[in-house]
Amino acid sequence: MNSTHALEVRGLTRTYGEGAGAVSALAGVDLAFAPGTFTAVMGPSGSGKSTFLNCAAGLERPTGGRVHVDGQDITDWDEDARTRLRRDRIGFVFQGFHLMPYLTAEQNVGLPLRLAGRRHDLTRVRKLLDRVGLGDRGGHLPDALSGGQQQRVAIARALIADPAVVLADEPTGALDSTTARDVLALLRDSVDTLGQTVVMVTHDPVAASYADSVVFLVDGRVAGRMDRPTADAVAGQMAHLDELVGALS
Amino acid sequence: MTSLAPSLAMASLRHRATAFTATFLSVFLGAVLIGAFATLAQTATGQSVSDADAETLTIMGLVVGGWGSLIVLFSVASTLAITVRQRAEEIGLLRVVGATPRQARRLVVAESTVVTGAGAALGALVAWPAGFLLLALLRNGGMVADDVSYGGGLAALVGTALLVVLTSVVAAAVTARRTTNGPATLAISDARGGSGRMPWWRVAIGLVLVAYGIGMAVVTITVTAHQDDPYAAMSTSGSSSILVGVGLAVLAPTLLRRTSSLVAPAVGRSGVVGWLAAYNTSRRSQLLGGVLAPVIVLTAGAVGVLMLVGIDHRTIGAGHPEGDTINLLNNVVTGMVALFAAVMVVNAFAAVVAGRRAELQRLRQLGATSSQVERSVLAEAAIVAAIGVVLGLVASLATVVPFAIARDEGLVPDGQLWLPPLLVATTVALTLLSARSAVRRLGPLTGAVR
Repeated sequence: MNSTHALEVRGLTRTYGEGAGAVSALAGVDLAFAPGTFTAVMGPSGSGKSTFLNCAAGLERPTGGRVHVDGQDITDWDEDARTRLRRDRIGFVFQGFHLMPYLTAEQNVGLPLRLAGRRHDLTRVRKLLDRVGLGDRGGHLPDALSGGQQQRVAIARALIADPAVVLADEPTGALDSTTARDVLALLRDSVDTLGQTVVMVTHDPVAASYADSVVFLVDGRVAGRMDRPTADAVAGQMAHLDELVGALS
Repeated sequence: MTSLAPSLAMASLRHRATAFTATFLSVFLGAVLIGAFATLAQTATGQSVSDADAETLTIMGLVVGGWGSLIVLFSVASTLAITVRQRAEEIGLLRVVGATPRQARRLVVAESTVVTGAGAALGALVAWPAGFLLLALLRNGGMVADDVSYGGGLAALVGTALLVVLTSVVAAAVTARRTTNGPATLAISDARGGSGRMPWWRVAIGLVLVAYGIGMAVVTITVTAHQDDPYAAMSTSGSSSILVGVGLAVLAPTLLRRTSSLVAPAVGRSGVVGWLAAYNTSRRSQLLGGVLAPVIVLTAGAVGVLMLVGIDHRTIGAGHPEGDTINLLNNVVTGMVALFAAVMVVNAFAAVVAGRRAELQRLRQLGATSSQVERSVLAEAAIVAAIGVVLGLVASLATVVPFAIARDEGLVPDGQLWLPPLLVATTVALTLLSARSAVRRLGPLTGAVR
């Protein structure tokens, strides 16, 4: 196993249910993400995108295969160990922002540090909020922020622990296109200037065009890959995913 | 993930069931309590009942029952308010697909009517034998003649059921109005159950109740303490702790916001668990105010009335012919009210925590251990319990101090000083246990994204 990858999955399978009614969400996925790369994972609904993300984050235990984060095999870790992994080594950005409603922007950003029992580093929190353009909104509750601002707070929160990998699940799904571009530019910037590793699940070709490469998932399998994607090329590929599947089998 | 959808729907249903069960239970118990006393009032209208007995029964049924009703109705209303407010998201969805605010409100009110109607009907049924037992207690205690026959019937029971349903539906409608007004949107503010200002009429009701209770306490010290009838002082001071307690309970969200933002910095230093709890209680005081309210009433009622009974027993009661029965009745009423308030504490926590599943899950995703999540809810319960018992004890003074003065024991009663700490410990333990069981009932919060 190559320990230089930020995130690596081998032979990942995940089956829901048993017997005849069993549904296979992931049917053997091999993927590796090098540090400092921005990868989009695309695929139609039901292709296994979210299951992949859940397994990579240790939220769900895979049925088969291995998951390595930052060179460590986390597959057999117990719930507590995987929880510690999440707050120390993984940053999350969700479609629905998922800020704690009763904490201010500053407090939300610092939350992973506090949960880990680490020193609350207000300077670092402020620096990250500045970075996402919300330096003057630190004292606001999520309720008083727009959707785009909330997502930028969530990105600052994802970066606070200096994680091995940032997992983003449809981060622009709930945003308008202008706001979405700001959020994507922030993710791009965290890769370019901070050397972060970002894995983003999306089905928006424009969002995918911000990534270094795109991985296509179909029916729980990797069906193809595209480097230096453009929105047009990705959209074209998405429209002809059946050909990729044909080539696969 | 399509395969996750069914489990999500089941989870949502299960939690809706918890909220509905909480409403149903409080309505049911309320109807039993009010109904049982209402049958006494109806018994008083019987042909063969002597005037003296009729008066005793009517006073008992209407006055004692009335105080119980006040607590019960308030509790039902606050449970219902919690469950309706937690449906904000669903109501937003309804609005988006084209329901008018009026339609959405009607749906909420219709559902509440069904749940409370069923609870009230069943409660009224149980109130019939409960009223019978209550009358038997009064006969055995010699408060009414042995030949008074039980006259509880449709009038008392149907009246009770209607009263309870009507109050509940009004409570649901008021809450639903606040939830359904405004533009239709899916992006429901997470701050629901936030710390917004209370409507003026609610503040007014709370202040009037507190002022009335304090007024009765003052009347006890200045007037009834000097009257010949030794029980005059009891009749004026007996209910003042409950009055002040219910008044404070009405103001609970504001009191919680104020007091918890005072304790927040101190609790916050104790680590992330206390820190989260402190901010949640102060910034979402509306939600946890529903839990604080019954804690205040439970403490105020139990401490106030039991101390009152103790003072009476030490001074006159033991030798006085009326003493034993009056105190027996005091104990029965306090017991029922305390039991009811205790059920409300459990209920309110179940409803509040069930509605926070998504938010607690979010904490897990961000890397909180399940023990951190559980401890933070327990810390919230501890903050609420501490504030509740302190306010409850303050309210109980409205009964204890004037009655102790009236019976010449001075500011501080001569005995039973072990009682308040014991009741406080019981209340705190109950609050913590109900919070723990509410969190445990959520099951493992390991769930994945979506």
